[in-house]
Amino acid sequence: MSEHESASLVKTLRPFHVWALGVGIVLVGEYMGWNFTVAKGGILGSLLAMLVAGTMYVIIALCASELGSATKLAGGPYDWARLFVGPGAAASVGLAVYMEYIALEAADAIVVACIAQSIFPKLQVFPVTLLVIALLTFINYRGVVAALTLNFVLTMIAFIAILAFFFSTAFGLVDIHPEYLFQGALPNGMIGLFAALQFGPWFYLGIEGAAMCAEECKHPSRAVPLGQQAGMITLLIGAAMTLYMCSVLIPTDLLGVSVYPLFEAAQNSGIFIFVAALGLGTFLTCVASANGCVCDSSRSWFALSRDNYVSSWFSAVHPRYNTPYRAVIFTMPVAIGFAFSGFLDQVITFSIVSGLLCYVLIPFSLIRFRNLFPQTTSKVRPFVGPLQPYIAYFAIAIAITILSTLFWGYKYNLIFAFVFYGIAYFYFSHKHKKSNIENNWAEMGWPLPRGSENGKIGKEAIGIGDE
Amino acid sequence: MEMNDQAMESKYHSKLTGDTALVIVMLALLVCVEGFTAYRILSETWEIASGFFYLYIIFIGLIVSIETIGCLKVRESIKNHMFEFKYYD
Repeated sequence: MSEHESASLVKTLRPFHVWALGVGIVLVGEYMGWNFTVAKGGILGSLLAMLVAGTMYVIIALCASELGSATKLAGGPYDWARLFVGPGAAASVGLAVYMEYIALEAADAIVVACIAQSIFPKLQVFPVTLLVIALLTFINYRGVVAALTLNFVLTMIAFIAILAFFFSTAFGLVDIHPEYLFQGALPNGMIGLFAALQFGPWFYLGIEGAAMCAEECKHPSRAVPLGQQAGMITLLIGAAMTLYMCSVLIPTDLLGVSVYPLFEAAQNSGIFIFVAALGLGTFLTCVASANGCVCDSSRSWFALSRDNYVSSWFSAVHPRYNTPYRAVIFTMPVAIGFAFSGFLDQVITFSIVSGLLCYVLIPFSLIRFRNLFPQTTSKVRPFVGPLQPYIAYFAIAIAITILSTLFWGYKYNLIFAFVFYGIAYFYFSHKHKKSNIENNWAEMGWPLPRGSENGKIGKEAIGIGDE
Repeated sequence: MEMNDQAMESKYHSKLTGDTALVIVMLALLVCVEGFTAYRILSETWEIASGFFYLYIIFIGLIVSIETIGCLKVRESIKNHMFEFKYYD
């Protein structure tokens, strides 16, 4: 092992960094994207999609808090699946997380470039997109604290803009049109209620990534649950505010196809300060989201590399900045490739399918974790989530229901994703069966899992730091 | 030495109160905003939504209750481990 590879990730992050990582990635979904629920199911369909997806994400966030604070590893969902499910599921979920975030990064960078071009028409989208991706990669290369502190500032400004606009709308400072609510209540009938569910995840897509900085937290057992729950509540509040403001300020037929719904709602209010604030918020959330995506996708690739699922060359840690710098730099060509593939809409749909696959496997990892390690000692499980494993089963049921709604319009994306992750599952299961390496629970300070005396557990994946 | 311990204990409890206050304020805002949005939308569309409004009530109830219990558990976890893991040093 080289000197670089023996360095470890720096442990400096605090709860507000965890909040900034989670909310920073997701808040862009409240500035744009969520409104496709309105096109499918009207205002009532959108409200139901927001609540159903919200319930699923509240449970996923609790599962991620428990798993993240217990394992304290950078790979997040990948590491949980590796430890508690098996190598095939681990590789699939690791790749799913990577694809989910890298596709979002590419989309965010293009939107930033388009906004910049609309302000300065002489700018070209291609070079600005490259510049945004390169700049964010450099910030993440230099250090996680700087990257997430930047995310905190950007996200806070964007969230305050939503808060201010909402309270002004709710307290009558802005002229609203309540009749829009009835006019566009349920344009496609009851089937629209069900169809709208497929875009419900846009309100919260990626919040589980907040737990992926656990290995870099000073006190992961406090920072991960507190930051993640605060982030989840922030998103629930932001989602409800956004839905209300947009639906009383934009006619439903226009809202369903709007590119920047919050900005458009501000424009319809006719108040300059809100137009400026929400325009700035749209821009900043895209930057914050792309920034958080670089952080999370690189950690997922780093974790896959550390365990030899992909080349171990990527698992090097920078001796000075303590960042997984090769994995960080590698996000750049992949994001650029996605951004200019010409199939961005397909890539984003693939990102949603990848996310939903994670939402099946995260609660399943928690169920397995509870079965293998029923102890609630502070070493094994410093944060004990409530109502488990019952709510984990409920989250899996919601995720599968939402996945099934993707058959309306995205059948081929869904089939492609199943084939892709199916191949990954069997390939990596086979590869690691041959290697026959066991988990090293003692290195984590954990007892042997229940049933390990039968030799059934532990032959599935390699251990922490075995590299 | 004892004075130091007392000062540290007092600091820890004060920081824990800060964490608790933050979560309570956010939960209160969550209940108000979710309730307001659902009420305004359902009241304006009652003619259409009256047949299945219970779906909204069920999911709002689930979100608020699971999140509230989750936050109580987060507080309990911090309180139980704050001295052991030196959270506020």
